[in-house]
Amino acid sequence: MTAPQNSGANPLLDGLRIEPTPAPTALVIFGASGDLTRRKLLPALYHLSRAQRLPARFTVVGVARSEMTDDQFRDQFHASLKEFGDVPKPDDLSAALARRLFYVQGEMDDTALYEKLVAKLKTCGAPDGVLFYLAVPPMVYGTIADRLAAAHLTEPQNADGWRRLIVEKPFGTDLDSAKALNQRLHKYLDESQIFRIDHYLGKETVQNLLVFRFANGMFEPVWNRRYIDHVQITAAETVGVEQRAAYYEGAGALRDMVQNHLMQVLALVGMEPPITFSAESVRDRKLDVILSMQPFVANGDADHVVRAQYTGGWVNGAPVPGYREEAGVSPDSTTETYIALRAYLDSWRWAGVPFYIRTGKRLPKRTTEIAIQFRKPPLHIFSRVSPTPISPNLLIVNVQPDEGISVRFEAKLPGTRMQLAPVMMNFRYGSAFGRPVPEAYETLLLDAMLGDATLYARHDFVEASWALVTPIHHAWASPTAKAPATYEAGDWGPREADELIAADGRRWRTL
Amino acid sequence: MEDAVTGKMIDGLLPAGHDVKFSEIEAAFARLAHDRRRRRAPARALIATVIVVGPPEQLIPAAEAIEHIGDVGVRAILISEGNQTEPVARVTDNAVAVSGLAPGYLNNAVAALRLSSLPAAVWWRGGSTAAFADIAELADRLIMDIDQPDDLWSAAVRLFDRTALTDLRWTALTRWRAALAHLFDLPNVRRSAARLKTVMINAADGPSGRLFAGWLRSSLPWPSGATISIRVTHTQHASPLECVTLECDGPPITLKMREGRACFEATAGNSSESGRIVPTEEMSLSSLIGEELGVRTRDLAFERALIAAREIRA
Repeated sequence: MTAPQNSGANPLLDGLRIEPTPAPTALVIFGASGDLTRRKLLPALYHLSRAQRLPARFTVVGVARSEMTDDQFRDQFHASLKEFGDVPKPDDLSAALARRLFYVQGEMDDTALYEKLVAKLKTCGAPDGVLFYLAVPPMVYGTIADRLAAAHLTEPQNADGWRRLIVEKPFGTDLDSAKALNQRLHKYLDESQIFRIDHYLGKETVQNLLVFRFANGMFEPVWNRRYIDHVQITAAETVGVEQRAAYYEGAGALRDMVQNHLMQVLALVGMEPPITFSAESVRDRKLDVILSMQPFVANGDADHVVRAQYTGGWVNGAPVPGYREEAGVSPDSTTETYIALRAYLDSWRWAGVPFYIRTGKRLPKRTTEIAIQFRKPPLHIFSRVSPTPISPNLLIVNVQPDEGISVRFEAKLPGTRMQLAPVMMNFRYGSAFGRPVPEAYETLLLDAMLGDATLYARHDFVEASWALVTPIHHAWASPTAKAPATYEAGDWGPREADELIAADGRRWRTL
Repeated sequence: MEDAVTGKMIDGLLPAGHDVKFSEIEAAFARLAHDRRRRRAPARALIATVIVVGPPEQLIPAAEAIEHIGDVGVRAILISEGNQTEPVARVTDNAVAVSGLAPGYLNNAVAALRLSSLPAAVWWRGGSTAAFADIAELADRLIMDIDQPDDLWSAAVRLFDRTALTDLRWTALTRWRAALAHLFDLPNVRRSAARLKTVMINAADGPSGRLFAGWLRSSLPWPSGATISIRVTHTQHASPLECVTLECDGPPITLKMREGRACFEATAGNSSESGRIVPTEEMSLSSLIGEELGVRTRDLAFERALIAAREIRA
């Protein structure tokens, strides 16, 4: 028996069902004492470790302004696992991972911090593959990149070393700031080293969209203007701004949800088939979608966009205040908590097919879905015996919370009469495969360690998306712009959003 | 639903089921589905048929394991061999047990009962080797799971081109293999292993030790004169291995069960930075078979390991 010849450098990886792990990695988290690190990143690392997806040599260095020792950072790690990771008490695995956690304290713009970081990486024996994660407010992204470069931290020390940078959203606040940030990062890192995270892309169902469309032969032939009447994308939240008022006041729903998450989802629905399942091929086709989108603003008016704010109401069985009464929100704020818009793509596949997007806070349900509504049959031959209008076929991709795919079609009601009724055929991701769905951050962190950017946003997509969204903000800033509409917390949005879609003879799906 | 027959069904197998004639199984499934809809019980998407073949005492834990997999939508077909040409069947919502079926009819029964257009996995827990070879034609995946596997392994080697085979021991070894493989990501470990002298395996189960050794023998560039030594230590614990040591020119490469048995440790020499703590995870039948149901493809690493393992003695 001879060993397989083509098994790569590590002969034991051949045929291993657990996927190969990344090369030795040092993960440097800026914002290590923050909410994202505690809620998402540290639990994700533990679960990746449990799944044996972390490299044999792995080090985490937390960086933040808070005073903390290595041991206190490790205590924070255990606490975050207890609170957010379903690990009630330290176990062998978390203890082993904790021993690889280190901490550096300092101000993000202080060069001394980066000297300390260099020293810490050396003393803790960190490998030369370094992934920087910027879980900090976006205004310091550029500063951190400058300081990292000045400290030579953006350059590997030896041939098998590497450097990558994960940037959280928001990536810029408009087109100019996004371009400036891209240029600033590109001074030190090339595009293949920059990973702009959009956690929606890490969701299993969003990834499944690619499989659903391009691994099945039966859907793609009807995935076009000839058969599809319109598309509705809904991202509804029941929560308000909670502790994020300071951020949200400057962002609003358009920046917070539409420019990134929902544009990504729309691109996955609308894209042409990529040549291969590779980062560049997939991202090229997604970019085509955004570039083909008609501008939302014509003659200074954003007629295809409705913005609104919630007023006081009742959600999840409890009264809630209006947006302007929330702590940290200006009483005369014009920040939108709800957006509804209509998009058109100028492409052969989609010309004339509207894509309706709505997203908002304090809506009645937490749900995210993509609904593809097909055209009605050209003739209702059953109208005499079953006069009820035929419901058009509907394909619904549930992104959260109940991930799955449903198809609505007409069926004959049992009985001697020819009566028609719509029925749903449901596929539920969780119950069909009976295995837990990984958290988006686990998938995305691992991909970045492996250098796979397929599920990350590319610079040109981000800029193209801002190029669509920024004119809307400019239109809203005009003195002649209409004030935001209002909707009662617990309602499905303002009357103006209903009118937007009703003008086309359609209506929002009842969720 | 009333029981239609009262034959010799295995005690304790599908206790909530209804006994029916073989020819009435599909009708019984339909009636149960109708009852389920009336109760407004949630429907499940079916993804595969799992056929379990084995002696009665092996079918009961298998049925329980499939029940415990969770919400995976499978139809389970549990068959014990005997000499019956008109066997008794017992049906539940998503499982059917067929008792005492003559081996010659095994593949006919499976052909009649499996879900059409969906994959079928055969979980082999015992039976005639001839029937094992016959059923390979109907199986998308054949999972071996018997105590003394030598004869079956010999038969399996001849079936590699016909279906995707594995042994449930291989599944149980996955984490051990992965832990060692991850150490081999480090260039210094690979360099050291190139001068391998001895592989010492302390196994709780002899065939598992042989399979692990077969994997190493067939995967690593094997220096001439390198030896394999397997010691079987019977324990009450579920883990297939206790300790694996690769003696090389340099420091040894070791996998070792830790105290408390919740984890094992993978180390190369004394370097703590390259050590890994790996959770042993649950080794229950349901977790092992649940993992196998997610696999459809032929496993060439397993095939090579099995061929090598047949030449290795514990």
